[in-house]
Amino acid sequence: MRTRFSDRRKYFLFLMAAPAVLYVAAVGLWPLAQGIGYSFYKYNLLRPARTQFVGFQNYVDIFTDPATRRAILNTFQFTLFSVALQLVLGFCLAMLLWRDSRFNRIVLAFLLIPATITPLVVGLIFKAMLGADYGIIGFFLAEAGIGPRTGLLTDANTALWVLILIDCWEWTPLMTLILLAGLKALPADVLEAGRVDGATGWQRFHMLILPLMLPSVFLALTLRTMDAFRVFDSVFVTTGGGPNDSTNTLMMLGVKEGLQFFNVGFASAVGNVTLLFIALIATVLLLVVRRADVRINGK
Amino acid sequence: MTKAFSSFMPRSAAYSTATVIFALMASTACVSAKSLDGVTLTVASMNDGFSKVLTELAPAFKAETGADLKVEIMDYGTLLTKTTADFIGDTKGYDLVTMDIVWAGAYAENKYSVDLTDWVKRDAAELDLDDIYPVVRKSLGEYNGHYVAYPFAAYANVLAYRKDVLDAAGLKVPTTMEELVADAKKLNDPAKKLYGFVANGQKGPAVAQDWMQYNNQLGGSIVDKDGKPVLNSAANIKSLAVYKELFTEAAPPGAIEYDWGGREESFRQGMAVFMQTWSVGAPVYSDPKVSNIVGKVGIAVAPVAKGMSPQYGVGGWGLAINADIDKPKQEAAWTFIKWVTSKKIHKEFNMMGAGGFMRKSQMTDPDLLAKYDFLPVIAETYEHGNGEFRPRIPEYPEIQDLLGTAVNSVLAGAATPEEALGKAQDAAKKLF
Amino acid sequence: MARVSTRRIFLERTTVLVATLVFLLPVCWLISTAYKPSNQIFSVPPRLTFQPTLDQFRAAFALFDVAALMRSSLIISIGTTVLSLVLGVPAGYALARSRSRYSAGFAYFFLAIRMIPSIAALIPFYLLMRDIGLLGTWWAVIVFNTMLNCAFVTWMMFSYFKALPPDMEEAALTDGCTQIGAFWKVAVPTVRSGIIACALFCMMFSWNDFLNPMFLTTLDSKPISVALLTAYGTKDITWGTLGALAHFSTIPIVLMALVMNRYFVQGATNGVQ
Repeated sequence: MRTRFSDRRKYFLFLMAAPAVLYVAAVGLWPLAQGIGYSFYKYNLLRPARTQFVGFQNYVDIFTDPATRRAILNTFQFTLFSVALQLVLGFCLAMLLWRDSRFNRIVLAFLLIPATITPLVVGLIFKAMLGADYGIIGFFLAEAGIGPRTGLLTDANTALWVLILIDCWEWTPLMTLILLAGLKALPADVLEAGRVDGATGWQRFHMLILPLMLPSVFLALTLRTMDAFRVFDSVFVTTGGGPNDSTNTLMMLGVKEGLQFFNVGFASAVGNVTLLFIALIATVLLLVVRRADVRINGK
Repeated sequence: MTKAFSSFMPRSAAYSTATVIFALMASTACVSAKSLDGVTLTVASMNDGFSKVLTELAPAFKAETGADLKVEIMDYGTLLTKTTADFIGDTKGYDLVTMDIVWAGAYAENKYSVDLTDWVKRDAAELDLDDIYPVVRKSLGEYNGHYVAYPFAAYANVLAYRKDVLDAAGLKVPTTMEELVADAKKLNDPAKKLYGFVANGQKGPAVAQDWMQYNNQLGGSIVDKDGKPVLNSAANIKSLAVYKELFTEAAPPGAIEYDWGGREESFRQGMAVFMQTWSVGAPVYSDPKVSNIVGKVGIAVAPVAKGMSPQYGVGGWGLAINADIDKPKQEAAWTFIKWVTSKKIHKEFNMMGAGGFMRKSQMTDPDLLAKYDFLPVIAETYEHGNGEFRPRIPEYPEIQDLLGTAVNSVLAGAATPEEALGKAQDAAKKLF
Repeated sequence: MARVSTRRIFLERTTVLVATLVFLLPVCWLISTAYKPSNQIFSVPPRLTFQPTLDQFRAAFALFDVAALMRSSLIISIGTTVLSLVLGVPAGYALARSRSRYSAGFAYFFLAIRMIPSIAALIPFYLLMRDIGLLGTWWAVIVFNTMLNCAFVTWMMFSYFKALPPDMEEAALTDGCTQIGAFWKVAVPTVRSGIIACALFCMMFSWNDFLNPMFLTTLDSKPISVALLTAYGTKDITWGTLGALAHFSTIPIVLMALVMNRYFVQGATNGVQ
């Protein structure tokens, strides 16, 4: 009896997963494989006659050129700080919006607006507002002598941090959305138990809510890490990677090489390196969360 | 949708467009059997002065030839990406493409566009080639003796300056770069939020293109006679030092992050005395709807270094025909090119605000002169024009990017002109 | 969650309102450019007052077929969302409930798909779409975005289902409920908020996505996100046009979020006590 049930369930679950697996494999793996193939060539679509096999040279170039190395470091710094900040802010907002009320629902809808604006346009908005000469924020900052006289985006010490804040502005609401969905799915009986025990707010948060929220936190972290690591649009229009190389990011290089120079070989290599880095970060995150899960929830 | 459009259009604009179109139709309507009935031509067009005019001219072209004209307007990056993808994928998405003159090398090397040389020869009389300035013909269309595109909208690099400020200081319009630099420093008055000069400083194409302009006028050159890069030539290093000097001593503080939009805005806000710019934008400064400096702006020929024979920057757009489309369509596209660049239509094209003057006859046309008083400046620029100061070689995009990084790092104080240009030269050599 | 003092609610709401305001100010600035005459969008020093005008909307309507842009955006984003949910929700459920040791590996596979940088995949995909004749249609974008989004939905639903103890479905199955019934009537309602979040996420991703549709659509099929960038000319940024178009690109999403939020409520477990 038990085994037959289990077989049928297995069969059923397999059928449920199959369409998505097949779809993703059919549409996604082909271009990905192509991209890996290209990355071993010096291949520029604008100069196809000069195509030649170069082995790992594109990858070697990425890790030896000081400009690309700087871009890798910038990308890591950008990802680490913007995602961490978004997680904290997002969690606070999600806790505040947890209670089910019309007010909260309306606020959430409006809060999502930043994420509906094309990132390129977001970059343009902030550039226009922060400009030291006539920007609505930058002008007054400059008058008050706050920050570099030439504007926050023009100084190698501040530019990347401003870009981090812009990223937070745009994506914290989505972080809130994911975490809020997680909070809303928490089993009420567990939370009620906490209330009966007379736990304080903080105890309730870190002993009951946080452990149960670990999967959602992991989800939110990986998603935002993946996208923050691929940041390109807002950098492209605000600083173009400058001043000097201070805001260059990996994807900025990749998109420039791929879609402006059509240097497909090198661009694919950059894409693959990015993919590898993200996979690495995701794996580390997964291990950290699993360990935390074991430590807190004891399973 | 047309209905919705016209109801949103300001009446005066709708009226003037309508008159133009009717006038064009009336002159040609007698021909009833139209040669291109049922043909649709798709144009990939840069978002620039001419793009809206192209849309507005479409009905007149249809009335005359029967062909529909669909205009897809795009920003620079999108246009470059989409048209290149169309060419390399052989997807025939566009029949006609507006081609920035610096793309000519890539077009020629890859045979993206139909070689128009024979057609130009065949239809020479109709085209009235002698009326088009030689520099325009050469740099907007030809590459190594072949027409990869046909000249369509030419721009002259000019010096826009603040008449009122110069008058108040008792200064004349500078005629040499040395005077320009000196005046810019003299007139720089940060306390009053008035700066001597403004140019692009943002890393990437923005700073690269503006510097190449100054570099040209200071006697520098990006490539040597054989077309090989000489980014760190002595003249280039010197001109970059001058550019940096202008930025530190005479530019608005935020100029290091300006691209074209920021630069133009700061000039329109009345923050800068001198700015070099493409002539296509010149009419805007006297439009009270957009500009805060109406009546205070003069347009002059851009200065060059003392003792240098005059050579002024020329740029703009050609029209190229996609080589992938079939023969009859190519002929139809050529019909459109001939039509839009003809003396009569190209005058209307500019009357409607396209800003792409290129015929000698336009410079003395009373109607155009009444509307655009700076035409003599453009004529002078074309007489001594140089369309090669941005090298139109296939490697141009990469060179421009290297320069964009190098010049920006100098402006940011992270490198000296020698170091930055030396590094760029090393990288540029690898491209050949 | 009852018995909360009104004072505490007041404090919470004030904080939330202030935060929302901060998030909305840059958007307000963008939207406001649509009502300003072009020469008043910037000024030295910056001013908050201006003479309102509708010229910018006229200019935007003269350049763009706004209705067609909106239609393309809606078709692309709704198509992507529906397809991604149909494929992703069952897959996420299956992976969460499966006891196979490969299930975690598969979940990771989906995550990896979501990580593919567009530039690595777009050019080969472009040529693929050309060969099967879908290039320039809405389908090209929907197919590509669904690949990324369904991978994401699968992964996200995998997390939500995983957080939900399987006891209730097992009880239902023992009570003679069908497999589909256990999924549809027991499991899905409890993660309703998660599904709504996924839907909103997919919708927003496809709505403001620029790179993929830029590459894959033509004049007749391009969405509003691509058109927005047209205002970013070489010569100038026409802020007024950008602001006017931004109305049409934000308002639908806000409306959609408002409608969907009705269902963005506590999972069913909390209703049953």
